Amino acid sequence: MRGHLGLLVLRRLALGVPLVLIVVVLTFTLIRLAPGDPALMLAGDSPTPEFLAQIRAEYGLDQPIPVQLLTYLNKALHGDLGRSIFFGRPVSELILQSFPVTLLLTSVVMVFASLIGILLGVVAGDRRDSATDTTIGVASLIGFSIPTFWLGQMLVLLFAVSLDWLPAGGLSSSRNDYVGFDHVLDVARHLVLPVTTLTLFELAMIARFTRTAMIEALGKDYVTVAFAKGASRTRVLFRHGLPNAMVTTVTVIGLEFGVLLAGAVVTEIIFGLPGLGRLFFDAILRRDFPLLTGCFIFASTAVILVNIATDLVVAWLDPRVGR
Amino acid sequence: MPADTVINGKRNADPIAVRPALARRFGKMPANLSLSIGIALVAIPCLAAILAPLLTGSDPLALGADILRPPGAAHPMGTDDLGRDVFARVLYGGRISLMVGLFSALIAVSVGTLIGTIAGYFGGRTDEVLMRVTEIFQIVPRFLLAIVVVALLGGGQLKIILIIGLLSWPGTARIIRSQLLVLRGEEFVLAATMSGASPARIITRHILPNVVPFMIVSGSLQTAAGVLVESYLSFLGLGDPSHPSWGLLLQQAQLYLQQAWWMSAFPGLSLSITILGLNLTGDGLASRLGARSVSR
Repeated sequence: MRGHLGLLVLRRLALGVPLVLIVVVLTFTLIRLAPGDPALMLAGDSPTPEFLAQIRAEYGLDQPIPVQLLTYLNKALHGDLGRSIFFGRPVSELILQSFPVTLLLTSVVMVFASLIGILLGVVAGDRRDSATDTTIGVASLIGFSIPTFWLGQMLVLLFAVSLDWLPAGGLSSSRNDYVGFDHVLDVARHLVLPVTTLTLFELAMIARFTRTAMIEALGKDYVTVAFAKGASRTRVLFRHGLPNAMVTTVTVIGLEFGVLLAGAVVTEIIFGLPGLGRLFFDAILRRDFPLLTGCFIFASTAVILVNIATDLVVAWLDPRVGR
Repeated sequence: MPADTVINGKRNADPIAVRPALARRFGKMPANLSLSIGIALVAIPCLAAILAPLLTGSDPLALGADILRPPGAAHPMGTDDLGRDVFARVLYGGRISLMVGLFSALIAVSVGTLIGTIAGYFGGRTDEVLMRVTEIFQIVPRFLLAIVVVALLGGGQLKIILIIGLLSWPGTARIIRSQLLVLRGEEFVLAATMSGASPARIITRHILPNVVPFMIVSGSLQTAAGVLVESYLSFLGLGDPSHPSWGLLLQQAQLYLQQAWWMSAFPGLSLSITILGLNLTGDGLASRLGARSVSR
């Protein structure tokens, strides 16, 4: 069993590496396709001629295109994503500094969305075609039809502006210097609205897929057998049904991680959270292309890694997969 | 895009428990109902956008002295920070959002159908290569890629439509391919092959008419996705400023959120109703087709 997983890790990584390469090549192509001089694009709006010459030499822009591509690849794969024009600091440094905020936001969202979404999916799948099922179905359809950023705005209007229950933005209170547990509580209070915004969307997705997978799993012979043996309903649902439905759920969670990151971008903007999304937005606003492409390469790599991880979880849940 | 839809066509797969008859009759929203509600919801913004000049006398771009005015008799949805009528901006903004959604879906469905058909019909090496490419497109985060492409290559309505369309075809390609795998073994296709018809003729005359319903389902969901992606781009300031869409209105609303709720509420509501309507329509159509699995 362990050997099987080890082999699978290697096999998935072998698929993931070319994907990262493709992302980098794609980014390079886009920079080349963009109108204007790529040196200008890398150097920002009004560079000095010396700086331009330096950029040209550094990126080998006076070399033939294949050589340029290799230079770019080599730099990117060594973690050198260039220097941000606006911040004047290495892009990788900026990313590593803001990523923890995004990681905190997305992981809290995933925990809540998975727990509630799976539970709702199980209930809906179990009581298929009942009023409960329809209600969950309609609610989740509404849940993922509402654009994340508008939901965020409405939650701010309701809970921060009208009711004044929760802070409208930021990661912590600027006027107070909380330490220790108080600081944790303060951050948590600031995260309630952004987490709710993103969770509602993810939750809807997870509930829908879990429901379909549950219905399929509950139609299998082993479930009939379990009932015939006299197993309780709860036991059949969570011991026989859910583990089989989880294969679908986990796959969906992995595939939707890219969407979750995009959702985090707009959520961070609305709630003024200093994460990767905020960095992305700064890059767009200031036309800071090294920062923009750097963030993209980093985010894509994260998505690819999450996909590899979900593949492994699926293989662990269902040993038939990937053998 | 988010929101893949999986519908289980099997009716009597539930061995457990006998449901109360009442719940069984009224509980499940029938496919027809969700289809009707969906179409009705989509019809509202569509009609409003088409009839915009009849519904309001205000110019969506005309500046006014009445700034940040709450909804009232003169301005049913209030005015924005430059005194422009929000009602007029929502109506005309709908034209932009819907057009981008519709045309990007057209591109996505055309490309997806083409690739899905080729992969499914010819199979073998061709299928393998095309499906690998599709997988790559599905894993690379599309939203973020769209942002990067528009930021680097510049916006403009036509470019945005092309970019969204060309990044959204994989879902359609997969559905069409799976249909092709079924159709390829059907007797009427075999008969056509036996009678010496060329692949081009078999595909256009015998196969495509059978996948049209799936193209429509996919088109409905892709339009929802297109409207959504455009709104993200506009919200991030990458939209076409000369063609203000709902997303652009929401971007402007963000700056005045504390003072003018109406600048955000109405464009966002229109956006949500449209996307919900298109998703319901796609869902309803899919269950009528008995589609086991339909995804974007």
